[in-house]
Amino acid sequence: MNSVASPSDQARRDQAFESLLLLRRKSNVRRSAYYFVLLALVVWSIQVTIIDDTDWERMGSLGAVLKSAGRFIGVDIGLFPSLLVPAIETLVIASLGTILGVVICLPATWFGALNITPFKSVTYPLARLMMTLSRSIHEIVWALFFVAAVGLGAMAGIFAIAVRSVGFIAKMSAEAIEDINPGPVEAIKATGANTLQVVIFAILPQVLPQILGTVIFEWEINIRRSAILGLVGAGGLGLVFFRQMHTFNYHGVTSVIVAILALILIGEVVSHYVRKSII
Amino acid sequence: MGVFVFIVWGIEYLDIPLDRLFGMFGRMGSTLANRYYPPDIEYIIDADYFQYVIETVQMAYLGALFGLALTLPLGWFGAYNVTPSRRFVYPVARFATMGFRAVHEMIWAILFVSILGFGMLAGVLALTFFCAGFAGKLLAEEIEAIDMGPVEAMKATGANLFQVVIWGVYPQIRVAFTGIGIYTWDVAFRAATVVGFFGAGGMGWYLKRNVQQIETERVAAILLSIVALVIVSEIVSAWARARVMKMK
Amino acid sequence: MPILEVRNLIAKYSARGPEILKSVSFDVEDDDFFAIIGPSGAGKSTLIRCINRLVEPVSGEIFFEGQDVTKLNSRELRSLRRDIGMIFQEFNLIDRMSVMDNVLSGRLGYTGTIRSIFRAFKKTDIQHALALLDRVGLIDHVDKRADELSGGQRQRVGIARALMQDPKLLLLDEPTSALDPKISREVMALILEMARELKVPCLCNIHDVNLAMEFCNKIIGLQDGVKMFDGPTEDMNEERLNEIYAMEVL
Repeated sequence: MNSVASPSDQARRDQAFESLLLLRRKSNVRRSAYYFVLLALVVWSIQVTIIDDTDWERMGSLGAVLKSAGRFIGVDIGLFPSLLVPAIETLVIASLGTILGVVICLPATWFGALNITPFKSVTYPLARLMMTLSRSIHEIVWALFFVAAVGLGAMAGIFAIAVRSVGFIAKMSAEAIEDINPGPVEAIKATGANTLQVVIFAILPQVLPQILGTVIFEWEINIRRSAILGLVGAGGLGLVFFRQMHTFNYHGVTSVIVAILALILIGEVVSHYVRKSII
Repeated sequence: MGVFVFIVWGIEYLDIPLDRLFGMFGRMGSTLANRYYPPDIEYIIDADYFQYVIETVQMAYLGALFGLALTLPLGWFGAYNVTPSRRFVYPVARFATMGFRAVHEMIWAILFVSILGFGMLAGVLALTFFCAGFAGKLLAEEIEAIDMGPVEAMKATGANLFQVVIWGVYPQIRVAFTGIGIYTWDVAFRAATVVGFFGAGGMGWYLKRNVQQIETERVAAILLSIVALVIVSEIVSAWARARVMKMK
Repeated sequence: MPILEVRNLIAKYSARGPEILKSVSFDVEDDDFFAIIGPSGAGKSTLIRCINRLVEPVSGEIFFEGQDVTKLNSRELRSLRRDIGMIFQEFNLIDRMSVMDNVLSGRLGYTGTIRSIFRAFKKTDIQHALALLDRVGLIDHVDKRADELSGGQRQRVGIARALMQDPKLLLLDEPTSALDPKISREVMALILEMARELKVPCLCNIHDVNLAMEFCNKIIGLQDGVKMFDGPTEDMNEERLNEIYAMEVL
């Protein structure tokens, strides 16, 4: 610096400099400690999960691993025609599951939106519990549960999808309802309408596009989910995947994955256009 | 909308005429009551089982962490505003993210088990891929929403590509990224409890064994424990998220 | 020899879009405080961003210390940018970092990648940053986060960051447009003072003609990408100003 400073300025600056260095060093130490803990946890986890638990002998060299990965390269084209029916099944399971989910959502949303919940101290926590339970349990676990309850087949898949969807749809819908403009609600109430009428005439028109958007979004995700529920006996593409895997038809496995990807792509395209037309 | 419902119902009639089961909620209840109740709680209060729980947590931790590590380049390259090359790197990163995401974590698990053999390595890798796809998209969207001013300023100081990202981009997304990390942990842990069902280690493996042996009361206990653990983890992450939000 | 020579500069936003700059030429001398004025949309910002190639010009030449900027590869471009400090209209500070770190970020071009990840700047850099912060009057705000400061203070951080580069030229992109008139004047005065002190020429694009007349010794006027005026401040008059800003009335 070419600026000229008086001696007292210099002293003040030196002091500031020293305290600054100390501060930066302190924050560095804290950051390093933080990273160190993170790293130690990683090392420990790697030791337990990867190094100890892996059968390195059986896995063999890198070449062997690459070779077994290479088995999946290639597509069994002959399998595609027979994939059509399971693919449609998957799509139907996803759609019906979503619809059933929406039906279950109705009470959950009604109870879960603070501004319309009927008995706040009871129904609100109940709805929240429903949403949390639904969202926090993996679809495979739900499917296992329903397979045990209603037996193998599409039914279990539909139930699993429905129950799994409730949480997200209800949460988003309830939040949408909580954010509505209270003006129309008051206006309708002022005409002497009952609660149901208020919901239908004042609340639904405001939130319907948003809720439909959420449902479509969830439907898209449900296609992805229903494609694998066959793995635990709920029908659709997952079942074919399972069979191909068990008969060691690796190219067939790739075919099924390609089919799933195609299905998801279709879902994405459809949802894109539907959402566009809503908004 | 009503027409739509009707059509789908029609298809359902064609493929899976199972609606007769609708009247059978009663039987479903009695099955549950007879076979799954009471859950064999003693079975899961067990050091051995606890070991599996810890391993599941570790698997989820590593999967989420590796996935997030993979997310950083994916998000950077896949964000249109800061990608090093819009013509080559951007589409590749976007495509990779989509691929990771589109394939369900269970399928990743099965594929890795078939390639690498049973064990948690397959589980960790499946979770890694899954998390990378999941978080990659969120991060790219987050990066695309940043203020480009600081990025421009860093470029103007003569900083290199890396420095621009670390100084111009990262501070702006740090809080959002932590949020995404917590969210990723949620889905990773949820998935980790079940990837073992297909041989990828952790609690799912326990579940699988008992499902196959039709030890229904034990299955009920394990399912309960999974639900409990996931809820505990959700509570912890909700708390963490609230803290992060306050940090800003 | 002038430190910066711009010759026949043409720039566009997109390959097929209209020309933002239509063959602009001018020279900046070693001791200039050079203003670019003109109505908004005239291409002032684009022009200034072409100098350090934040915007890539379509054609034309820009000589900085005799070297053609438009022909540099990415490594050479970085070292050029290191030599040219820049101050922005919206300050462009890193909001979530401390004032100190913001000023230190001006040293990134001189700092290795690994060092910059861990914010491990050299002690001399930290000392230099502290002295600059003292000079711009922010010595008491060193540890604050950048988003806690007022607009004027934020621009002072921006000035310190630019000077941290030991620049041979300063580019100022509407440095005072986001500030109120009183603070604007103070900030302009500070920039001018420090530029004189450190003998750094400045190229400043500025919307406020009065500020340009008061602080700058040379002016070019742009209108719709065309240079309408080029000369010392004394030659600028009402008539010429009206000509430059004629478009804005429409």
